[in-house]
Amino acid sequence: MDFYFGLLQIFGVHTLLGLSAYVVLLTGQVTMAQAGFYAIGAYSAGAATAMFGLHILPAVILAGLVTAGIACIVGFPALRVKGLMLVVATLAFGEMVRLFFFNLTWQVERGGEMVGPNGAEGFRAIRYFPENGWEVWHVTVFIWIVVAVIMAALWWMDHSRAGAVLRAVGHDETAAQSVGLNLTAVKVGAMTLGGFIAGVGGGIYAHTVTHIEHGVFGVLLATFAIAYPILGGLGSVFGTVIAVLFIQGFLIEGLRFVGDWRSLLFGALIVVAMNLRPHGLLGEHAPNLRRIFGREKTEREALNTKEAK
Amino acid sequence: MLALDNLSKHFGGVRAVDAVDLTFREGEIFGLIGPNGSGKSTTVNLITGLYTPTTGTVMLDGHDLTQMAQHERTAMGVARTFQNIRLFGNLSVAQNLWVAQNGRTQRREHFMSRWFKAGGEHGPEIEDLLRFSRLHTKRDLPASALSFGEMRRLEMARALASNPRIVLLDEPAAGASLEDGQLLAERIRDIRERGVTVLLIEHMMELVMGISDRIAVLNFGRKIAEGTPAEVQANRDVRAAYLGSKHEDEELIHA
Amino acid sequence: MDYFFFIDFLQSLTDGLLFGTTYALIGIGFTLIFGVMRKLNLAYGAAALAGTYIGLAAFLSFDAPPTLVFLLSALGSGVIGILVYYCCFRFTPADYPMASLLASVGMLLFIEEVVIHASHGMPFPYPSVFRDATIELGDIWIRGDLLFVFGICVVAMAVLFWLLYRTPLGLATRAVSQQPRAAALCGIDPTRVNLLTFGITGILGGIAGAMTAAAVGVLSPIIAMGLTVKGLIAVVIGGLGSIPGAIIGGLLVGAAENIFLLLRGVTERDIYVMLLLFLFLVLRPGGLFGSTAGRD
Repeated sequence: MDFYFGLLQIFGVHTLLGLSAYVVLLTGQVTMAQAGFYAIGAYSAGAATAMFGLHILPAVILAGLVTAGIACIVGFPALRVKGLMLVVATLAFGEMVRLFFFNLTWQVERGGEMVGPNGAEGFRAIRYFPENGWEVWHVTVFIWIVVAVIMAALWWMDHSRAGAVLRAVGHDETAAQSVGLNLTAVKVGAMTLGGFIAGVGGGIYAHTVTHIEHGVFGVLLATFAIAYPILGGLGSVFGTVIAVLFIQGFLIEGLRFVGDWRSLLFGALIVVAMNLRPHGLLGEHAPNLRRIFGREKTEREALNTKEAK
Repeated sequence: MLALDNLSKHFGGVRAVDAVDLTFREGEIFGLIGPNGSGKSTTVNLITGLYTPTTGTVMLDGHDLTQMAQHERTAMGVARTFQNIRLFGNLSVAQNLWVAQNGRTQRREHFMSRWFKAGGEHGPEIEDLLRFSRLHTKRDLPASALSFGEMRRLEMARALASNPRIVLLDEPAAGASLEDGQLLAERIRDIRERGVTVLLIEHMMELVMGISDRIAVLNFGRKIAEGTPAEVQANRDVRAAYLGSKHEDEELIHA
Repeated sequence: MDYFFFIDFLQSLTDGLLFGTTYALIGIGFTLIFGVMRKLNLAYGAAALAGTYIGLAAFLSFDAPPTLVFLLSALGSGVIGILVYYCCFRFTPADYPMASLLASVGMLLFIEEVVIHASHGMPFPYPSVFRDATIELGDIWIRGDLLFVFGICVVAMAVLFWLLYRTPLGLATRAVSQQPRAAALCGIDPTRVNLLTFGITGILGGIAGAMTAAAVGVLSPIIAMGLTVKGLIAVVIGGLGSIPGAIIGGLLVGAAENIFLLLRGVTERDIYVMLLLFLFLVLRPGGLFGSTAGRD
């Protein structure tokens, strides 16, 4: 039974990771920084509970806020570059964060033990859950309540003007500017919100595994982060969840018997998916819209080009 | 109302727009014409802030827009359409209008209700614009599923969604037939009826001559004539520069 | 500043500049592919790594001489480059760069995993030449193997320049990178040019991988990430799309890396290299030679 709860916990934290990238991807920005934000959230939430004895809830919110702040600061300069250059910039930022924690040693004494990040050793003994008598299913429920709250908030945002604005910026920046949208504000806003979600996700992740080290937050994790929303499609938040269930569930846990070949399969899956369904499993638009209008659209486009001449 | 003073834009050695002075009056339809590459679209891009001018200023009722970002100019009341239609194809027709509500009055609304109130795409202003552009039956279709003419109408409505004081129409008749041109002329008059000044950049002579109150002619980035349609048509330089290549007074160009 | 530090500094700088030519080669690869396709091939470093392992396999199985090992590394990487083209670029939509980008990341993970499994993640000795030779210039020593790396990379660049500027193939490649549609109308098959570009850049990557391994003396899967990231940094510093920019960027990265190694130690070295990249992206997004700022 615990195995399945553990699985649900993995789904939960990865959903948060994917959603954090989803928000940024809506504005058309491909970010490889989410693993870095996740790491910042993990280390700061871990520090808050293990080193300073905070309750888990304020610790996780604090982690989200710290990460959001950093995402906002990084967002201003980073979003000056677009497209592929942004991929490189955020990749560099992510690696920078990872290497920072690789070098970070900052320990305090608590209960006769030294706790805190210890360089390459990582950050051990983030034991808030076992110390406070939380059982596995408590933790799982807690994680999914957080996921549900964030998903509901994002779903709401998607149906408000803010969501339409994010998509408008993602579709055509020049047109978005011409209708009076402040690109910098919109993009940095999305980056900050994405940072908050990644920080919360990382903070929870740190407590489910109790031991974090820099190696986890590498390019693989950054790829997972953007692969969920891109594979799921940017139509709605549910695409991301479905992609998490699909990749983590089917590929990683379902194929456990194939042993260590899992990240190889993950790589192959992305390659195949991008060839067959480049706009994601559920498509770019909200589900069903595209299906219904897909054929009509192509006919019309043919007509349009005729008209244009 | 809107005044361009000594406005220039140089791309390397090319003077796309060269020391242009223009003043647009409240409530008029102003036609800006000129041969291909004469700097019409560059002028639009300078007014809306897509380019920063090499020299000169753009003033709106005494406010200097020259250093403002595009979104700030929209908030001041400048809106535009594009020569090659640029809609948000991934959004619905109504949502295209919704995201464009960034005008003077709209910006004063409360932050939360402006950004996070769901269902705002059913607001009265949007319904009005949908009827204006005769797209209310297609309000929930993705904009990419519209026909060419519908896209043009939607883009025009989107420009109006921010409650602008002046709207810049960049070749709205491009790709349209002559009959469409008649409908377009009516629609442009409708825009003026709403109290919005219109700057019309166009190739289709019949359209511009028919509805403009005043016209300015650009050639090689310079303003070579300005006045009523009749005055401009009578101007020798204009005939040489603009009509000359098509008509018999070919020799005037070389004169 | 005392004399010994000064000598150490110069020594680091020299080693860095010599070794930087491998980054320059990788950078040229990124730039060429970007030139013809306006896309980023993130699987490039991994393909270079896999090619190098092919050479290594020859070395381990029948004790091939270093020249053959290097040659096989380069050719193997070229073949894998073509494979990457078919898997990630040929059939993904041309107007949606994110699809091929993500596919190439997937390919990166895939190739890396294959290599790790095939080699059990263990580092292997890789043949090297002139290991014991050194040239002394005063108090500065120039390592023979590094000089060899430098020489091979320079030769590779020279051959590439000859290909690009003196052959019909190069003309076609440059035509596609300037105006893909016009080139297609002139009867140049873009697919063939793309294919050749991936093959050639693959060979360059293989040379870079082989030379990296030769300079270190051992080959381990870790170098893929290093090559990818450092190559990208070289390109960004030089300006995406510019070959001279990639060369200078590569040399700069090599030098900076070694100097930070001297000043801050091995664990912190890469933080500063990343910081350098981040600063460049923010302050001079077009790079030293590029005008493609913000292009996607």
